Amino acid sequence: MKKEITVTVNGEAITHTVPLRLLLVDFIRDECGLTGTHVGCTYEGRCGACTVQVDGRALKSCMKLAVQADGKEVTTVEGLAREDRLHNLQKAFSRYHALQCGYCTGGILMNAVDFLNENINPSEDEVRRALVGNLCRCTGYSHIVEAILAASAMRHGLKPVPPPAETEPAP
Amino acid sequence: MSTAGETGWIGRSLARREDARLLAGRGEYLADLRVPDCLHLCFVRSAHAHARIGAVRLEAALAMPGVAGAITGAELSREVQGQRIPVLIPAFPARYRQYWPLAVDEVYWHGEPLAAVLAEDKYVAEDAAAAVEVDYEPLPAVTDAEAALCAGSPRVYDDWDDNEIFATGYTGGFEAEGIARNDAEVDALFAGADVVLSQRFRTQRCGVCPIETRGALALWSDADGLTLHLTTQRPHIERLALADLLELSTSEVRVIAPRDQGGGFGVKAPFYREHVVVCHLARKLRRPVRWIETREEHLMTVSQERDQIHDLEIAADSEGRILALRNRGIGDVGDGRQGVYWGFVMPSLGSVMLPNAYAIRHADIKLRCAVTNKTCLSPSRSFGALPTRFALERGLDMLARRLGLETAELKRRNLITDFPYTTVTGVHHDSGDYVKAWDTLLERVDLPGFRALQAEARTQGHYLGIGFACGAEFSGIPSDVLVPLENQPGYGVVTMRIDPRGKVAIHEGDAPQGQSHETTMAQVAADAFGIHPDDVSVRHGDTGTTPLSSGTIGARGASYTVAAIAEAAAALKAKMARYMIHDHGLEDADPADFAFQGGAVVYEKDGNVRRDFGALADRIVMGSINLPPGESPGLEHTAYFEAPKPMICFTAQAAKVEVDVETGQFVILDYATCEDVGTVINPIVVEGQVQGGVVQGMSNAMFEEFLYDENGQQMTADFETYRLASAADVPTVTVSHAPTPCPDHPMGVRAVGEGRPGPVPGALANAICDALAPFGVEITALPLKPETILALIEAGRAGEGA
Repeated sequence: MKKEITVTVNGEAITHTVPLRLLLVDFIRDECGLTGTHVGCTYEGRCGACTVQVDGRALKSCMKLAVQADGKEVTTVEGLAREDRLHNLQKAFSRYHALQCGYCTGGILMNAVDFLNENINPSEDEVRRALVGNLCRCTGYSHIVEAILAASAMRHGLKPVPPPAETEPAP
Repeated sequence: MSTAGETGWIGRSLARREDARLLAGRGEYLADLRVPDCLHLCFVRSAHAHARIGAVRLEAALAMPGVAGAITGAELSREVQGQRIPVLIPAFPARYRQYWPLAVDEVYWHGEPLAAVLAEDKYVAEDAAAAVEVDYEPLPAVTDAEAALCAGSPRVYDDWDDNEIFATGYTGGFEAEGIARNDAEVDALFAGADVVLSQRFRTQRCGVCPIETRGALALWSDADGLTLHLTTQRPHIERLALADLLELSTSEVRVIAPRDQGGGFGVKAPFYREHVVVCHLARKLRRPVRWIETREEHLMTVSQERDQIHDLEIAADSEGRILALRNRGIGDVGDGRQGVYWGFVMPSLGSVMLPNAYAIRHADIKLRCAVTNKTCLSPSRSFGALPTRFALERGLDMLARRLGLETAELKRRNLITDFPYTTVTGVHHDSGDYVKAWDTLLERVDLPGFRALQAEARTQGHYLGIGFACGAEFSGIPSDVLVPLENQPGYGVVTMRIDPRGKVAIHEGDAPQGQSHETTMAQVAADAFGIHPDDVSVRHGDTGTTPLSSGTIGARGASYTVAAIAEAAAALKAKMARYMIHDHGLEDADPADFAFQGGAVVYEKDGNVRRDFGALADRIVMGSINLPPGESPGLEHTAYFEAPKPMICFTAQAAKVEVDVETGQFVILDYATCEDVGTVINPIVVEGQVQGGVVQGMSNAMFEEFLYDENGQQMTADFETYRLASAADVPTVTVSHAPTPCPDHPMGVRAVGEGRPGPVPGALANAICDALAPFGVEITALPLKPETILALIEAGRAGEGA
């Protein structure tokens, strides 16, 4: 069973005929070739590495079928930077060393952008609770939390708490 | 040797060069590779823990549209070699059982692969795998390692006379007479001790599963042979083993670890049987074959470590000085069929590491490892040592309580202070100042202040506690240890090339999985040459272009590989200086008279004699006339670094918790470490390594547990049932430093990657027990489940009432 769908992915309308059972995450990775969206669990919605935004809200793309995204707008991590200018959150992640292997990072970014849109000035506890749907095995979360708080502060024109060991821009 | 003062790239928290692509979603992970005409492989795995296999019927699967092939274990065993091959066997006297990539005749654990199907896409491949019909004749499952070692136990392997795969002692030498003498000495010390603590400690089966699972993509070409893209920490070892198993020339096998790997932590170090199936079928069908492990497969098959029992006895004097240890360990290694560790190498090293950073002169340490009908242990960061760290750190706290001493003081009193020091199990401690690190930590946690706060909180019904632990961890492993342990060299090696534009390329045969090699190693080379890190590239993981190395294991990056970079840079600098001497006619100059700084090579005795770094490189690589006598053209050097003895790094850790005595739940209020990692190349990277390692230890201690039922059915094959710590479960981990340079490393670096999770369960459990001291709670098993803690509190209350 197949169906033709049109999904706007990172601003570009994509029309494909897909099997009804195709997961959205596989549509994004295999049909659209956007491999920044990852799979880390057994399509159980636990690890969060596949998080994208659908119509502006964070969503685990392993929990939806591609056909459910028909007519919707999907933003993946590849669509976060605008004209090659990194999003503030991406910059903060680098500056605070909030990623090591990077496998969970795309999903965390897509969740955190949505979270910061909804939460003007979150506390550390709120950031930690917002991250329960994203597992990271490398960082221990400390730098991720600091990076999200710093991005939030930067958005308000506040001076963020500097990284624990002051980092320098990428060489 | 360059120092930070001269050139200045060492010790700086440069943002990582890996980040740009990873943050943009343009990483290059295994599952991101796309090749045309690729078949997807799916394994059929055993539904039973122990069973004889009858018919395996592939017909229904093969009849499905889109299915390209299928193979059973019996068929495959006629086409490839068994996996008991020399390159995968370490030098221990143990039982190395022959096995094939897919089970033949009998399965030994729930999830063992027994057939494989290939299809045009992964959805069809999964359907086809589910359509394979297998007849099983169930056999009794052995699921308890201690029972498995008792006479009369059912056996995992009916042609073995028992279930013991490996047993040895670690003290008193290798001769029976010496061992008996040692053990008698220990007995006498116990008999004369002021206090003896005897306690059993258990660490559950758990590990450090990375978020990216395993995967393999094999391509076959009749002209060039096999190219395998593989999630692996050691592509070169993989290549040798694959060539032997597939009976190919090594010239026909190239293994490439992807540029980006989603974590490894030891899990991607062994030689796994699945890879052989992928490669063989790619060769047989002459089509690319890809396997991406599902999370369910991963949790049933790998990432299972720890799983040790320790009957630990500590003899001490009345001031808490340790006189002797006695330990009887039991390791549950699962089926014990997996090169190069065979399940028992981890618990074995755990016993070696038991004395930790404490000056313990006498000990009697023995270990027995049993096979069971579970998957084979595979390594996880803090390789084998987390269970013995937990046992000793908990045991010392129990000892302190019995003696009425402050635990932090008792531990401090026993730390090694005379270096170099060799432990009773033969671990060499090169140098350090463990007491300084310990004291730095104590200052950070304000122990007297905390004790006052704790006393006051108790009067209000709040139970706060503090716990300490430490770890003296390997900073890389030299050949002296690695050759017998894993049948692999321990040297660090890089090939370094400088091109005519003065750009430096480093080729390393290791395969990092998030350790920031591209950044930190570029910093090291840039510092040495006085150039910018942008002018240094680091390439790794491809056996076709890199020198043979044992891989990214055991904290070898900053220790061995970085040392090799320093040595390669020194050799190339000397060559460049010799060209300067020749070209400028400086007969009296010595290569040491040239400074490499600011992108130039400068004669220090006459600053007017200088060449742009790139111009000098161009002269040596491209201008190959008028050479200095005896000199070769070109700028390429392969350096091998070997430390004479193991190098050590040190971590001291403290946890503060609050326990709710009505529920047994606890909150980690604060977690602090003090590190001696010697010279720090990139502080924020080091901090990230420590924080990540500590939280892995917390997650192991608090949540993770692989559970098997009495029939050996694995019940924890997803992240709902096998729970990892989330951001909300853990605090910010604060890291301080008390560095001492490592004398055996050219830059004084001690590595940081391996050991950090090890001390965490002890520190956490000690903090909980400290909080619950009024109830006399002593935790002796992991994980730290609230219901277990509550039961101990209630037992304490009942004891009080009696």
